[in-house]
Amino acid sequence: MYGGDEVSAIVVDLGSHTCKAGYAGEDAPKAVFPSVLGSIDEMEVDDADNSDKNSGTASDSKSKSKRKLYVGTQDLGFRRDHMEVLSPVKDGIVADWDMVENIWDHALRKCLLIDPKEHPMLLAEPCSNTQQQREKTAEIMFEKYQVPALFLAKNAVLTSFASGRATSLVVDCGGGSTTVAPVHDGYVLQKAVATSPIGGDFLTDCLLKSLEDKGISIKPRYAFKRKEIRAGEFQIVDLDFPNTTESYKLYSQRVIVGDIKECVCRAPDTPYDDTSYSNIPMTPYELPDGQTIEIGADRFKIPDVLFNPSLVQTIPGMESSVETASSARGLPQMVIESINKCDVDIRRELFSGILLSGGTASMQQLKERLEKDLLEETPQAARVKVLSSGNATERRFSVWIGGSILASLGSFQQMWFSKSEFEEHGASYIQRKCP
Amino acid sequence: MDAKDILGLPKNLPIQEKKSKPPKESQRKPDGISREVYALTGGLAPLMPAIDVNQLKRKAQSENEKITWQWLPFTNSARKDNLQLYHWVRVVNGNPPTGDYSFAKCNKSADIIKYTDEEYEKYLTDPAWTKEETDQLFDLCERFNLRFIAVADRFPSTKTVEELKDRYYSVSRAILIARAPSPGDVSAHPLVKDVYNATQDTERKRALNLLLSHTKHQERRDVEASANLVLPVLSDTGTLGADKPITTADTVNPSTNSEFPSSTTTPVSETASVVASLRMLRVYLRTYSLEQMVQAASSSAGLRTIKRVEQTLQDLGVNLKPKVPTKAVCAEHLELRKEILTLLNLQKQLQYKEAEGSSLRDGTFTETPGTPPKQQSVRAVDLDRTFTPDSLSTGGERFGKREQKRKGPGRLAEAPSSPAQSKRPRKYKASD
Repeated sequence: MYGGDEVSAIVVDLGSHTCKAGYAGEDAPKAVFPSVLGSIDEMEVDDADNSDKNSGTASDSKSKSKRKLYVGTQDLGFRRDHMEVLSPVKDGIVADWDMVENIWDHALRKCLLIDPKEHPMLLAEPCSNTQQQREKTAEIMFEKYQVPALFLAKNAVLTSFASGRATSLVVDCGGGSTTVAPVHDGYVLQKAVATSPIGGDFLTDCLLKSLEDKGISIKPRYAFKRKEIRAGEFQIVDLDFPNTTESYKLYSQRVIVGDIKECVCRAPDTPYDDTSYSNIPMTPYELPDGQTIEIGADRFKIPDVLFNPSLVQTIPGMESSVETASSARGLPQMVIESINKCDVDIRRELFSGILLSGGTASMQQLKERLEKDLLEETPQAARVKVLSSGNATERRFSVWIGGSILASLGSFQQMWFSKSEFEEHGASYIQRKCP
Repeated sequence: MDAKDILGLPKNLPIQEKKSKPPKESQRKPDGISREVYALTGGLAPLMPAIDVNQLKRKAQSENEKITWQWLPFTNSARKDNLQLYHWVRVVNGNPPTGDYSFAKCNKSADIIKYTDEEYEKYLTDPAWTKEETDQLFDLCERFNLRFIAVADRFPSTKTVEELKDRYYSVSRAILIARAPSPGDVSAHPLVKDVYNATQDTERKRALNLLLSHTKHQERRDVEASANLVLPVLSDTGTLGADKPITTADTVNPSTNSEFPSSTTTPVSETASVVASLRMLRVYLRTYSLEQMVQAASSSAGLRTIKRVEQTLQDLGVNLKPKVPTKAVCAEHLELRKEILTLLNLQKQLQYKEAEGSSLRDGTFTETPGTPPKQQSVRAVDLDRTFTPDSLSTGGERFGKREQKRKGPGRLAEAPSSPAQSKRPRKYKASD
């Protein structure tokens, strides 16, 4: 019997780097945009300090200053004076619910063009989400958007379902952090979840600092204009926008450096050390302003930070993050630690089903290197297998795809947390309904 | 062409080769399909049609039925509230299908026994568990449908999976027995019949944990350590019987062979060395060990002798491989083989002696009296080491018939031996 039943649910995955939204039953999200917002404080236009303070206020206080928020790739890509780039999520906890609502609005009304009243909503949440956050999410969804039904699913469970397994160890290398979570029979084992603050964004920062240290300055896209002097030849004219905020500049630079990282970096086969990689041939990369840069040892050094966080100390300019990095553990150690915290009976199954997901997991050779490192540390009796989908889109959006599969299953339709249940039992009932 | 020359067949007319080409070309261009698609099928039309079109299931579509698909709300009996979601429904003639949601039957849950407070007071109190904890446990078990690993994960205080299982099963069992009108009613219930053994489970998990915590480094060290292990000698008679007394060497480990006193006259028995090599395996089948022993014992004999031994065994009515290879049986079998071997050797010696005796009687040459005993002793040793059964005199009565049957190098019945080259009597006999 075919197990699917389409109820036109909407799946939204708000990650630390990008937000993915789309219809359940499809194999890729329709709306993918960065999960940061540009905010211009409309009260103070000249004073940049004030706007900084005001846009950073806590979500409880009613901000007297009206704030215009810009969401989405188009809006963020256009440079505006005094626009600060802010992220609603800090260390996995939502700091500003107003911003989150804006993101959801943008996704649902502008990108997907739907009315939330008619569609059950499936949201993906991080594995270590607190009870308070879940209740707040339920409140906003039911009261503001009036959805008929809601479900909150953990990221790791959705990734596991996307690959067709009920039990697996999910290694989520995302933008903001890396999480290793074991899933058993569809439930995340909370006591064995391991997180590390080193994620794709951290690696991008490392690369940026490293390039700056070498004297290469990354010009953000808005800071220059290409004029065609003769046919085929371009000249770069620097444009100066004094009212551009630092955060916006940093954001634009990060976009460019993130692209460099995706194109050029690959995980080294052996732990990185300066001597063996000193004679690596350089790879050229052309920046948007026409400048061609050569990247050599950094290609391998940056990804190795995932495996050996103490490498950060050797990158100049990253001193501020040395404390966070020193307390973090490398990826193979996190995997083994997480598995050893689980019950003995399921360890074998976890070892043979290690799933990679997230944007950073698409890095070349990451899977092979992780497998190799794990084979050295793990016992002979366990068979280690690291799996990742062959398709790059599937790897990046595996959480969303899992949600799409789950929301369109016939046997899932009894599990929704409906509006009437919310009205009857309150928001705390979500703990029972969405385990 | 050359083959036909060799075989003497008439050569083909060249016209025939050209004829084979046109029929092929007509096959290549069938009507209706392009050439490349046709090539996918292998270039030949299928003999039988793959799918019989008439047999394809036809959906019962009578003319008077009108089928539309509509977006309709539905209720799900598996839900406790009255949430109505929408889905596509196949509507026939304007009547929507009746009946429950087809996936409602997927909602299966385990039957958790619920106890009341009085029952708890009467039967279920336990020093290690408070009532709240037990209540929480049962609540979680119901939510997670008896997935104890998830229950242990969400349980507020740290209790191991075995403790939780133990408490759950003992409580359920106690309730069942207490509620049953008589013990016999529920004795067939799986909860009553099979008791959960927490200590055994804990022990099993501990062992599994040990197994799984052996990292590769430790295993490498284990392997190295066991290779250097010194094994004690098997001086007790539990070994598969060696006919020669084992020397008083303390170690039989092959790697320490150099420690053996070189003055040992009797060589280390083959069985002892085989046993030593088997010890390295730790676990082996007795039939395998028996084969090794047999091979070791008959390494001093040649192929023909082995065959004779086996023939003898068969004559005596003994299987070549014992049917029930227990320790005693294998020992006896090996003994028997060795005795047969000794018997054959002695018989051979006897034959030689008689042959020599007859040759001496013929008086072809004179011998010094000293040589016969020397020959004998030498021959005995030779027989053990370099037993080549290529030439045998037909003096032996028992094996008379058999020798005639056997083919092989020439029989030299009364050939004179040359005692001067007494160390290799057989070789010279053969050359004669």
